Amino acid sequence: MALVKTQTDEPITTDAREADRDCASLIVQLEASDPTARRWAARDLVDCPDASPVLVACLKQEADVSVREVILTTLTSLGDATAVAGLVDCLRSEEPALRNEAIEAMQQLPDEVAPIMRGLLADSDPDVRIFAVNILESLCHPEVETWLIEVIDHDSHVNVCGTAVDLLGEVGTVSARESLLRLKVRFADEPYIRFATDLALGRLREA
Amino acid sequence: MKRILIIDDAATVRLYHRRILETANFAVEEAMNGIEALEKSLQSSFDLYLVDINMPKLDGYGFLRELRGSDLPQVPAIMISTEAQPADEQRAYAAGANLYVIKPVKPDQLLAQVRVLLGEVAQ
Repeated sequence: MALVKTQTDEPITTDAREADRDCASLIVQLEASDPTARRWAARDLVDCPDASPVLVACLKQEADVSVREVILTTLTSLGDATAVAGLVDCLRSEEPALRNEAIEAMQQLPDEVAPIMRGLLADSDPDVRIFAVNILESLCHPEVETWLIEVIDHDSHVNVCGTAVDLLGEVGTVSARESLLRLKVRFADEPYIRFATDLALGRLREA
Repeated sequence: MKRILIIDDAATVRLYHRRILETANFAVEEAMNGIEALEKSLQSSFDLYLVDINMPKLDGYGFLRELRGSDLPQVPAIMISTEAQPADEQRAYAAGANLYVIKPVKPDQLLAQVRVLLGEVAQ
């Protein structure tokens, strides 16, 4: 049976700004009950240079995915130290969706994230170190391979090293060869590390 | 041949688990995140899921919740993650996992757990 397009006379709902657009009003609207109002407020706060602290605070409480997405876009556009610190804080969240959103946002900020990357890769929490390696996956920065090599040379946690090896298999050059061979010896009793290092060694590109 | 869907965003991890399972004569398919896994589950049936937690688009908890709340065939799921806190394990079971395993797995360990959940050996 052919599909028949249903005609409707209902007006198209407009997704429009309805309240004042000054920075103070926008911050108030971040608390609105209507997610559309919160989404527009988060979007327009991109023109308010001091908005990062309140956006970071809202990000951790916001349940609506579409609003969170806009908050993250605005924080990425602002890209100041508070925004970056807020995103780092999200890496410690118990909510995997928020962690992944923060990782994706931080991947958009190579120049802002680069100065803190060594600190993240040395964090006391191995989960945060793994997320830091995840950030490097799409971080367009010339130091990515150097950071990954430092991880596999020095990190004692098998899963942090395993995550770094996985990425070195994609972005690594022959510069990583000796470190990969040392890692394989260091975790000789871990079949996954043996598998992953062999795979990465076979994929290394010319430097 | 029993069919297993591996859901993990790390290509090396998927390949490692695939090699272990195929060596033991399981048929394996892969998904990079929970959304892709749901799509594959709608297209064909599986006997077991191997599910990572941290994945973009839809994480492992979200996938299991969607799966357990759906009309799809309800088969066992092993949640397999780098996260080793007791709260992570409890959350996995609450989402619908049948077993929680911490990475990295050794081949014999994984195969034993897979076979138990598939009812192929006594626990």
